[in-house]
Amino acid sequence: MAVGVFAYGIAFGLLAQEARLSLAEAATMSALVYSGTAQLATVSALGTGAATATLAIALAVLLLNARYLLYSAALRPWLGSLPARQTYPTLFFMGDGSWVLSMQAHARGERDGGFVFGASIATFLPWILGTLAGLVSAGLIANPAALGLDFMLVAFSAAMGLGMFKLQRSWSGVIAAAATALVVDRFAPGGWTIVAAGLVGGLVAYLRFKPTSAA
Amino acid sequence: MNIRPEILTVLLAAGAVSFFCRAAGFFLMRYVPITPRLEAALRATPLAVMVGICAPVMARGNPAELAALGVVVIATKLTGNDVVGALAGVAAVAGLRAFFG
Repeated sequence: MAVGVFAYGIAFGLLAQEARLSLAEAATMSALVYSGTAQLATVSALGTGAATATLAIALAVLLLNARYLLYSAALRPWLGSLPARQTYPTLFFMGDGSWVLSMQAHARGERDGGFVFGASIATFLPWILGTLAGLVSAGLIANPAALGLDFMLVAFSAAMGLGMFKLQRSWSGVIAAAATALVVDRFAPGGWTIVAAGLVGGLVAYLRFKPTSAA
Repeated sequence: MNIRPEILTVLLAAGAVSFFCRAAGFFLMRYVPITPRLEAALRATPLAVMVGICAPVMARGNPAELAALGVVVIATKLTGNDVVGALAGVAAVAGLRAFFG
């Protein structure tokens, strides 16, 4: 898993270089945000130049990372008895991979809260290192744009969306989100398209929820 | 190697929102139990966001980009790995653009 995170980090570093982010800016972003899709979206918005609204970026990050609300809520029964000075730093480093690993371990009977922290750090460090490696190596490529790096966010969204769709099988949500995106894209392209699609998708799931179908 | 002020604003905002997402679910569970209905909405949001990213690109109908999306789907299905699938798509779009000019 760490190898996959490292490769993803390199991809982000390449894109950050194309968006003219400095090494310090890219590394700070990877450390503070630590979310692949959210960072790709942020960098893409920055790369379009102009005065991109910070608010739109923050909202897009909020929607892309809304799953972490669920993740951290699910960790409550495990980490709830630990002092806050241990749990909140642990949550800062939590990612998709480390959360899945942790929930599997918890199901097996693991009860040491340090496991969550260890698994999270084990994926956080490759992410930072990958970012740096990608950004440095991008400097050696003459014209990064020709390599299709602007397509990175779309490609990762499509690939990760496939996996998520396999778990959810929600055509209504997908169609509603796509329709919303196409309409909003005509009037306010960029970050707002993503925000609107995310909100509508969540709303559809909320309205269509049937208690009997709960897992 | 320095950080520009306007970028720093974005970084701090995005970082703060990210940490909020990581911490808030845990914090809220202390007071408000997340209902299954709310949970279903939260779980559906990331997929909808990803659809929102891809749909305008598909509507634009650029042949190289459409073909590359097809490559992403096939590569992800074959390898079962989304990072491999995405990078195959980026490579495909780069190659196709070079080919079509």
